[in-house]
Amino acid sequence: MSISLPRFTRRETPLLGRSHRVRAIVFAGLRRELRRPAAIFAIGVGTLITTVSSIFFVLFAPFLLQGQPLDLTFFYLPASNTAILFFVTLMAAIVGSGLVADDLRTMALTLYLSRPITQADYLTAKAAILGPLVAMIAILPLAITPIVAGLLGLFAWTIALHAVGLYLVIGVVLTAFYSSIALFLSSLTSRKAYAAAGIFAVTFGLTIPAQLLASAINQPALLYLSPWEDFLAIARGAFGVGGGPIDWAPALIILLGETVFASLATYVRMRALEVITG
Amino acid sequence: MNGIVDARTVSKWYGEVLGLNAFAASFGPGITGLVGPNGAGKSTLFKLLIGQLRIDQGELRLLGENPWNNARLKRRIGYCPESNELYGWLTGEEFVESLLRLDGIRASAARTAARGALETVGLTDAKDRRLRTFSRGMRQRAKLAQALAHEPEVLILDEPLSGADPLARINILETIAKFARDGGHAIVSTHVLYEVERLTQNVVLIHNGKAIASGDIHAIRGLIDAHPHAVRLMTSTPRDVAQALAGLDHVVSIEFPAAEAVLIRTRQPDVFYRELPGIVVDHRLDVHGLESPDDSLDAVFRYLVG
Repeated sequence: MSISLPRFTRRETPLLGRSHRVRAIVFAGLRRELRRPAAIFAIGVGTLITTVSSIFFVLFAPFLLQGQPLDLTFFYLPASNTAILFFVTLMAAIVGSGLVADDLRTMALTLYLSRPITQADYLTAKAAILGPLVAMIAILPLAITPIVAGLLGLFAWTIALHAVGLYLVIGVVLTAFYSSIALFLSSLTSRKAYAAAGIFAVTFGLTIPAQLLASAINQPALLYLSPWEDFLAIARGAFGVGGGPIDWAPALIILLGETVFASLATYVRMRALEVITG
Repeated sequence: MNGIVDARTVSKWYGEVLGLNAFAASFGPGITGLVGPNGAGKSTLFKLLIGQLRIDQGELRLLGENPWNNARLKRRIGYCPESNELYGWLTGEEFVESLLRLDGIRASAARTAARGALETVGLTDAKDRRLRTFSRGMRQRAKLAQALAHEPEVLILDEPLSGADPLARINILETIAKFARDGGHAIVSTHVLYEVERLTQNVVLIHNGKAIASGDIHAIRGLIDAHPHAVRLMTSTPRDVAQALAGLDHVVSIEFPAAEAVLIRTRQPDVFYRELPGIVVDHRLDVHGLESPDDSLDAVFRYLVG
């Protein structure tokens, strides 16, 4: 004779896949950022100023470039708008600096990783929160500009659409660079103010000294140190503008290399970080 | 090896610091208390069990599986960390719901499960309040809710009673006990032996990263009763609390270490913990937190490890 004992069985609920879980972090993160006054300011003011100033360039193109043909090369001018540099840096500092640092400070990272997600999922989600917000400064205003130019009849649609495509490409490079740098710096500290300061240091701490030193000792190669100068070189290459101090190809390699390096370093850092906080 | 947790000479180093030192124990099913002073290795063991750390040496199994990098296993675990710093901008319901979504549960099902879990821990009325407005006891219960909400097989609770007020402690203990009665397993860490006494007879003592004793709680209690046990109460009226407790036979001393704290030493901690809620209610005392400095437990550990 045999007896059977009652057995506890867990209720099986239909579970969604990994991409849904990553999306859940993204939505929670975006919901948070879109409630923060500082983030709302950076998004609203940054997008407005960069868009308005870029459209200003289009409206006054015939006066700004008197005697020059209004072809694709004109669109380098909006891309070199320093408002983009400032607000992309500001956005990365305000939003990106806290993405990992806040989770480290509050130990929310432990809660996240106790769920069926990996460090790679976590970082992918954090990049997906920051990327679109940075892109609102680095891509959106630039992509709108040629469309406005086309609608106003200032440029042929073939040129305008070509410019939109190029803006998307160079904008993605800038967005990826600032997103990866911001996440890397954020993963290094539990104090987001330090990470934010680091983001400004990477932008202006490299750009201004590189510009001053390059002109003082007449060594334009020093400009490769500046992410902004690298971006301008890539934009010149994309829009066929000649005569820049540095070449676009090495600048592209440097910017992409720094982006990949920062991403890998962040991943390695996150793996090691759990050990330290354990 | 056939427990819920099976550890064979598990070691974990943080650089030159030893987190676990050839830890060997097998425990479960039901509720197991993991008791040890701060820094003993409890949190390290828990992080190994939830797969956030990789062991350097030995073998560790949870529910028969290696926890490291095991997403399937994580779905069977509910983890409650010690830290009380939560996302203050989320409401109680959003907090539990957003973590449930990470388990791959659909939004509507996650919301329903979050509400159920918050009801279980007695936080239904506070579900729409932001976590930043929660007391420590409420935060502990919110953490417990997120650990329970996806109906795990094993609960891993790191100091779930730390800082909780007397009424929150009762709720948390009852929730864990009910979870075990319904067939779940729980591993509860604490540096206060008496906290787990109400839950289980099975304890594992951990010290300096080693399991130094395991088994029945009564034998270990006998050792501890020889040393006065310290309890720190957080209160806005320390003198009133001291007056209410001074008459108890088993209270050895009362100190005032801070403006809003009273430190009680008692020879009978089990009696003290049993009587305290009644005294607080009868005298209408404002006791908003309770901690136990572990010097009395340290004395026992020193005795056990020679």
